[in-house]
Amino acid sequence: MNRAASTETVDTLVIGGGIAGLQTALDLADLGLQVAIVEKEPSIGGKMIGLSKVFPTLDCASCITTPKMAATAHHENIRILTLAEVESVTRHDEDFSVRVTLQPRYVDEDLCIGCRLCEYACDADVADEFEGGLSAHRAIYIPFTNAIPQLAILDPMECNLCGQCAVACPTDAVVFDQKPREIEITARSVVVATGFETTPMGAKEEYRGNEIVNVISPLTMERLLAPHGPYGRVLRPADGKVPDSVAFVQCAGSRDRSLGVPYCSRVCCMYAIKQAMLLSGALPFADITIYYMDIRAFGKGYETFFQNASAMGIEFVKGKVARIDEAGDRNVEVRFEHIDELGQVEERTHDLVVLSLGMLPAADLRDRMPISVSSDGFVTVPKPTIEPCRTNEPGIFVAGTAAGPKDIVDAIAEAGAAAMAVSGYLKKREPAGDAVCAVSAGMEIR
Amino acid sequence: MNSEEVKIGVYICHCGGNISDKVDVEKVAEDAGNLPDVTVSRTYTFMCADPGQELIVEDIEKHGLNRIVVASCSPSLHETTFRSAVVRGGLNQFLYEHVNIREQVSWVHASTGEATAKATTLVRAAIARVRHHEPLSLIRVGATSRALVLGGGVAGLRAALDLAVYGLPVTIVEKSSRLGGQVAEFGTVFPTGESGAELVRTLVRDVSALEEITVLTGARVTGATGYVGNFTVMVEQERGDGSTEDLEIPAGAVIVATGSRPYEPDMGEFGFGQFPEVVTLPDFIQILNETRADGDLTVNGKMIRRAAFIHCVGSRQIEGIQKPKPGRPLNENCSRICCTATLKAESDLIEKFPGVFVYDLYRDIRTYGRNHEEIYERASRDGVSFLCYEPATPPVVTMAAPDDTGNLLITVKDNLTAGMEIEVAVDLVVLAVGMEPADVGPLAESLKLPAGADGFLQEVHPKLRPVEMAVAGVVLAGTCQSPRDIEESCASASAAAVKVAGLLTRGHVDLEPYVARVNADRCEGTGICLSQCEYDGALKIVESVIDGRAIRKAVVNEALCTGCGACVAVCPTRAIDINGWTLDQFEAMVDAMCADPVEVASD
Amino acid sequence: MGTDRILILASAACAYPGADAVGQAHLSYPANTFVLRVPSPVVFPESFYYDSFEKGIGGIIVMSCGVECPYEGAYEKLAARIDRVSLGLKEQGINPRRLKLTSICTVCTKSFLKEVADMNSILAYEGAET
Repeated sequence: MNRAASTETVDTLVIGGGIAGLQTALDLADLGLQVAIVEKEPSIGGKMIGLSKVFPTLDCASCITTPKMAATAHHENIRILTLAEVESVTRHDEDFSVRVTLQPRYVDEDLCIGCRLCEYACDADVADEFEGGLSAHRAIYIPFTNAIPQLAILDPMECNLCGQCAVACPTDAVVFDQKPREIEITARSVVVATGFETTPMGAKEEYRGNEIVNVISPLTMERLLAPHGPYGRVLRPADGKVPDSVAFVQCAGSRDRSLGVPYCSRVCCMYAIKQAMLLSGALPFADITIYYMDIRAFGKGYETFFQNASAMGIEFVKGKVARIDEAGDRNVEVRFEHIDELGQVEERTHDLVVLSLGMLPAADLRDRMPISVSSDGFVTVPKPTIEPCRTNEPGIFVAGTAAGPKDIVDAIAEAGAAAMAVSGYLKKREPAGDAVCAVSAGMEIR
Repeated sequence: MNSEEVKIGVYICHCGGNISDKVDVEKVAEDAGNLPDVTVSRTYTFMCADPGQELIVEDIEKHGLNRIVVASCSPSLHETTFRSAVVRGGLNQFLYEHVNIREQVSWVHASTGEATAKATTLVRAAIARVRHHEPLSLIRVGATSRALVLGGGVAGLRAALDLAVYGLPVTIVEKSSRLGGQVAEFGTVFPTGESGAELVRTLVRDVSALEEITVLTGARVTGATGYVGNFTVMVEQERGDGSTEDLEIPAGAVIVATGSRPYEPDMGEFGFGQFPEVVTLPDFIQILNETRADGDLTVNGKMIRRAAFIHCVGSRQIEGIQKPKPGRPLNENCSRICCTATLKAESDLIEKFPGVFVYDLYRDIRTYGRNHEEIYERASRDGVSFLCYEPATPPVVTMAAPDDTGNLLITVKDNLTAGMEIEVAVDLVVLAVGMEPADVGPLAESLKLPAGADGFLQEVHPKLRPVEMAVAGVVLAGTCQSPRDIEESCASASAAAVKVAGLLTRGHVDLEPYVARVNADRCEGTGICLSQCEYDGALKIVESVIDGRAIRKAVVNEALCTGCGACVAVCPTRAIDINGWTLDQFEAMVDAMCADPVEVASD
Repeated sequence: MGTDRILILASAACAYPGADAVGQAHLSYPANTFVLRVPSPVVFPESFYYDSFEKGIGGIIVMSCGVECPYEGAYEKLAARIDRVSLGLKEQGINPRRLKLTSICTVCTKSFLKEVADMNSILAYEGAET
């Protein structure tokens, strides 16, 4: 596997292939700039591709994301690297030298045709993280239906080395001994679009998110609601029961100094309301409750969306949830303090509870590149008012939730802004020739 | 076209159950596969995903397909997606027909049998139409290398700067006598605490330094004509001597950054206009900024010891509770900035005049932005007393009794104390007014720019095309689209600028080919079509002399024709048609819809 | 056969997205409806309407943008044409209510459903007559 790897020069290296990174790359590529996207997962699409429908239009998320994914993949000015992690970004004169590790897929990307015969031949089952662990995939598998690139990946920890996949593969693409490779990319500019992770389920001990099976994360609920989700319908994970009563606990990972997350995560009110609306469509007779402190439906059309949800009979309870316990029949007891009734404490039992988790930055890049990070963990933007995408390092820009929580609409707008900032920066640097490709030997790092 | 053998590929999308749960997609594909000239007919889970698109590409290459039909969701979502797949397969993109069997079939029909039958018929109609499709080319028109930015607030300045740095000439048209808009008057701004005037100075300094930017202040747009790449905007500019000068500015694209204005409360709304001690938040900020810290804060000559701030005035209005103003819709939206701006003003007040006691009457506190929650915490630390009201029982402001401690009395049902009715006497009431769109002016009418039900200008789609308008070449920046803060306004302005840069960077724009075309063999030069055409220069009759006889024929100017089709309907010889939307095609579809009904299996 | 079929001529800018909005809201209407997307229904000559009825279409709903029409003067011309065709239908002994001109906006889901329901009751009445 000691293959030569290309070292190339690009105008912009975009770190992260979620919706913000994709939009930035597309806008830059449309200006004729050469862009490389470095994505650590086996597919681009980020968090958005896993969502069911998105507020406030209730468009199916995949219908908005897939065209942007496909447009990126087909754009002649964009190159996508998956399973790729940035090790370091170092400045050399005006350019950046970026070291990227390509993790092994154990499948030859040039040979695999995405036919899934390996998947059908494999008999090792692995919990499917894309489906919130509610269903399984094989140890060799296509990450999810709409994945780009549509290539199989093998999970070496779960593989039982039976070799059936290699036998089944019509193109001899399975490579059990693939090694990580390191490549070096010279980039004239960098965009950090590394996105977010949700706050951990277990962060707030009193909510016992990691212990009670019928307390789930909002991303799991997204999969339950997705038309092509794990069950194809809404069932609760503990026993497959159709839930009659579902509750959402707001600010379960935000606005809470005890969790080190004092800020508002901006999206949780709206995604909870959206999920509640979708649930009341899927389960017309279920009682749906949202426990909240303040409803923050601030975007265009969001307030109307919230009012519609109230009118549909979704119950909004102004209260802070103190603790969550398992009740009989695998139900979930929520103990909360009314904010609007003199702090009276009440307990209610639900079949299923969603913790409306907040956003944490997905990556801390301080040690890997010359940018700084603020006390909230997100990339520092020295002049957020009029230069919302500029970091403290000339030539490095930020887009989307890497610079703080935001919803899809705001992330996409900001991605366009990052592209504009980059292209202005590069124009100022001219004259510079078109990106040229050079080839040098890659090196094996393990 | 008839010389070529027609080979049609038909693809039916499951949409991961969105379609296939209601429509028997296999049956639809089977029916289509049995029709003449249909070479391939398949189904797939997600046609829009890469492998779905690749099916089309591969089949074109493998089977020599020359017409493609995809039945999936609405064409508004994926028509261009599949067209690009058709192009990758080596075909002209217009040899494609899209069938909408999701929004207009599987999501609206309860019976599986009927939905399947309808989908089958629609696919048959599309197959009938696609035979008539011809290869078309985009119409390439030269584009003026200049952007016009309407509005010189922070959004307009940001967009202009971006484009100028990128190298494109820009003209800013600002109706007032100075640049900077409302931000210049904000005092300090959240979350950074910078001076708004200083922010504006920075932007204006940068704008002035770039020779690519022409600034017209005291200038208003009186009208506009043209189309993407080739707009002409008429501007009337005031001159120093009081006269005006008329200018015509050619522009390849227009950025609308006309901004917003604070909601003006109705007479008597929370005592506004009735009591001089009831002021709006922008007015209060000005009063606070103009008062020296070592003096007393006075309003209407009276010293302020207690102040109350009321949120959501002119925002989050609810039908039946608030009344819309004449000619305006209710302001149902949240105005985004008022919560943080109000809390900041409260802290600014207390920190400048520590003796003042502040009440905050709110519905929900929406300090959502980065470093905004800290502003909420700061107000709480500064001792602001919060009262939470329900929209149905808003606070009532009346004159206080003479022996009360303040001039005004606020009565409110407070949620935080179990809905108890609370009375607070105050010297000042500050109304946190929301945002309303500013008047866009004649540009909106001339170019037919769409606005939403809330009066703000409307983007094509909030996620797919968030800064573009339905009118090609016109993009949106800042609060003319919806309420937002400075950071969000600048982000949208730069996003708008990058779209304009993409449009104008090549010096030409490619337009859709859906314009009228004349079949010269059939045209008898009657000129009836001309009588129907509303677009100057789009259609004319050209006379030429052939063999001594004067021959009259209709001729279309493709850049000016909008493809409305008014001419098509009146031609006595059917000599004129719209490219891609011909009468033959429509008739073939109706024929297919009227054919024997598809067998409907009972559910 | 096919007298119960309703042809809907939907303007691409308003009525077609309006029909999509009905779907996005997951509202329901009868499946005898066939939507033709057109830049503007002004494109259809009078003969198109007569021919469609002749071919067996039961009812035609012309869903335009109305005054919101993006094309200048197109709506007025369309309205005048529909008036003329209605008279012509009457002369031919065809119930002119089987042709209806209406405007549907991009979010006019209720109006869309109402127009479809109205046309269906007209067709049901016709069916009962014959």
